[in-house]
Amino acid sequence: MSTTLKRVHGYLAEFESVHDLYHAAEHVRDAGYSRWDCHSPFPIHGLDVAMGVKRSKLPWIVFFGGAAGTTTAFLLQWITQNIIYPTVVQAKPTVGVWSLPAWFPVMFELTVLFSAFTTLFGLLALIGLPRLNHPIFASKRFAKFSDDTFFVCIEARDPKFSQEGTKSFLEKIGGKNVELVEDDI
Amino acid sequence: MSHHVSIKDLPEGGEKFDPAKASGVITPMLGFGLLGLFGSLYYFAAKPAEFAYSWLFAFFFCFTFVVGGCFWILLHHASNSSWNVVIRRLFEHLANMVPVIFIFSLPILLMPSVRNALYEWMVHHQAAAEHATNGDVREGLHHMSESNPHMHILWAKYGYMNKTFWYIRFILYFLVLGHIARTLRGKSLKQEQDGDIKHTIKSRFFACRWLLFFALTATFAAVDWLMGLDYTWFSTMWGVYIFAGCAWSSMALMLLLVSYLRSLGYLRKVVTEEHYHLMGKLLFAFTVFWAYIAFSQYFLIWYANITEETRFYLLRNTEGWRWVSIALVIGHFVVPFVFLLQQQLKKKPAFICFWGVWVLSMHVLDIYWNVIPERGPSLGIGVLAPGAWVGDVVALVTIFCLSGWYFLRSLNKYSLYPWRDPRLIESVNVVN
Repeated sequence: MSTTLKRVHGYLAEFESVHDLYHAAEHVRDAGYSRWDCHSPFPIHGLDVAMGVKRSKLPWIVFFGGAAGTTTAFLLQWITQNIIYPTVVQAKPTVGVWSLPAWFPVMFELTVLFSAFTTLFGLLALIGLPRLNHPIFASKRFAKFSDDTFFVCIEARDPKFSQEGTKSFLEKIGGKNVELVEDDI
Repeated sequence: MSHHVSIKDLPEGGEKFDPAKASGVITPMLGFGLLGLFGSLYYFAAKPAEFAYSWLFAFFFCFTFVVGGCFWILLHHASNSSWNVVIRRLFEHLANMVPVIFIFSLPILLMPSVRNALYEWMVHHQAAAEHATNGDVREGLHHMSESNPHMHILWAKYGYMNKTFWYIRFILYFLVLGHIARTLRGKSLKQEQDGDIKHTIKSRFFACRWLLFFALTATFAAVDWLMGLDYTWFSTMWGVYIFAGCAWSSMALMLLLVSYLRSLGYLRKVVTEEHYHLMGKLLFAFTVFWAYIAFSQYFLIWYANITEETRFYLLRNTEGWRWVSIALVIGHFVVPFVFLLQQQLKKKPAFICFWGVWVLSMHVLDIYWNVIPERGPSLGIGVLAPGAWVGDVVALVTIFCLSGWYFLRSLNKYSLYPWRDPRLIESVNVVN
């Protein structure tokens, strides 16, 4: 095992409180890092602003997903009711779009269904799930992120990352036990 | 995060409105209102039957804002929410327009020529009273239905649809709304004197109890004044449909009012883009809610195709009204729905104000579409009653401008926001 090659994932720093984490996040944001993340046992209001996280693209994906649902339902009913097999139901018009009200429930339902699917799968795609493992789990201390400790991790693939500079930067902004996380290749 | 506002940043005693600053709006409103009033008096004398519909349309349009004002303050208290504290006082003022709106309802309550032109069942009741031996309307209706089976429905509905009960309900609607508005603003003002939290808690208890009576009032007012235009027609969704429009339009009006006050230099420290976003979200929610209710009502009637239910839509889906119906689907729902979807845009006051104006115009169209199509057939003067639209405009200008004038004039009595509310700071710093 001792000869195994390792890949540097990044620096992991501990913080003791929400307050510390929040301000550390602001410092990391202002220092211009882009590949980094905060870990906390619970959601923290306003942390996304402190981290400078941009608004997600997901709503746009969902909008077009929903619009696709509406269109699908409309075409499904229009083609079957008007072109393939016109059927008179309760003396309602079959030609043209004037039986549109009857199609609305399906159009509504498919809009909801397609939006829900694009929300779930779009989200999973954007955040890179599912995955089997994450290099950060190589850190033994990291397990405390779900208990009582707050972490900031700056990844090695960040263009501004440097072995010495990033470490001292994390220590300067109040990080404790700054640790270089290395993962087995 | 934006700068955190503390109580020290806000002026002691809140902000007082100075009507002189708004004279650019208040004076023209009074001018147009008075002009309209003369026009209305002329129309009431010259064409009372036609103008009755114009007046009902204009009166009900303004009435919806009062209902909406009551609803929002009740909801804010009942749901124990904090973000709305900074705009609550303005809603309280809106709700307290009840007495003014009551004055504008008097022609419908007091003038027989107006009442009889609007509500055919009252004419039939009069005939029945003459028909009966001892003036008993119910018995007269029973006799009349032997020769004219259409009268049977009036006999069957007599328990609800009789003049005495109609008068009682008419007054009761204003009493209930007035009580809600007065009580909640009263508690809010008392808190400004002593700063006691008990007023907030008492308001919550009050709101939870009175939401029920509010719902009954909004429902039956809509039934009596609008659905009653055609005594044969009925829809159990009617009350909710009108209520959806009330909540929607009063939120739009509030957005415009807040923006106007901000442009005069008020509320700058307390109302932020977050409040615009929250109000925009509610505007969006009620866009969808209205569409849901309106479509459900239409859909059930269209699909079932039962003769006594379809009359309402037959009238509105034929001749020129068909295009108004289609315009409502697109303008009242589709267009605002698509544009209000985006989160960032809802935080832009100019953008949301544009949609506030849009929403108000669609609400005018909605109420117009509900009231006016009945006029031609009921009075036997053709589908569109040529030239009658002038009266509609006159009535709308009269009631809207005079109430608006009174509303802005009376804003200066109290602080524009409840400055001693325990959750004021929480509301000012709201983030969503």
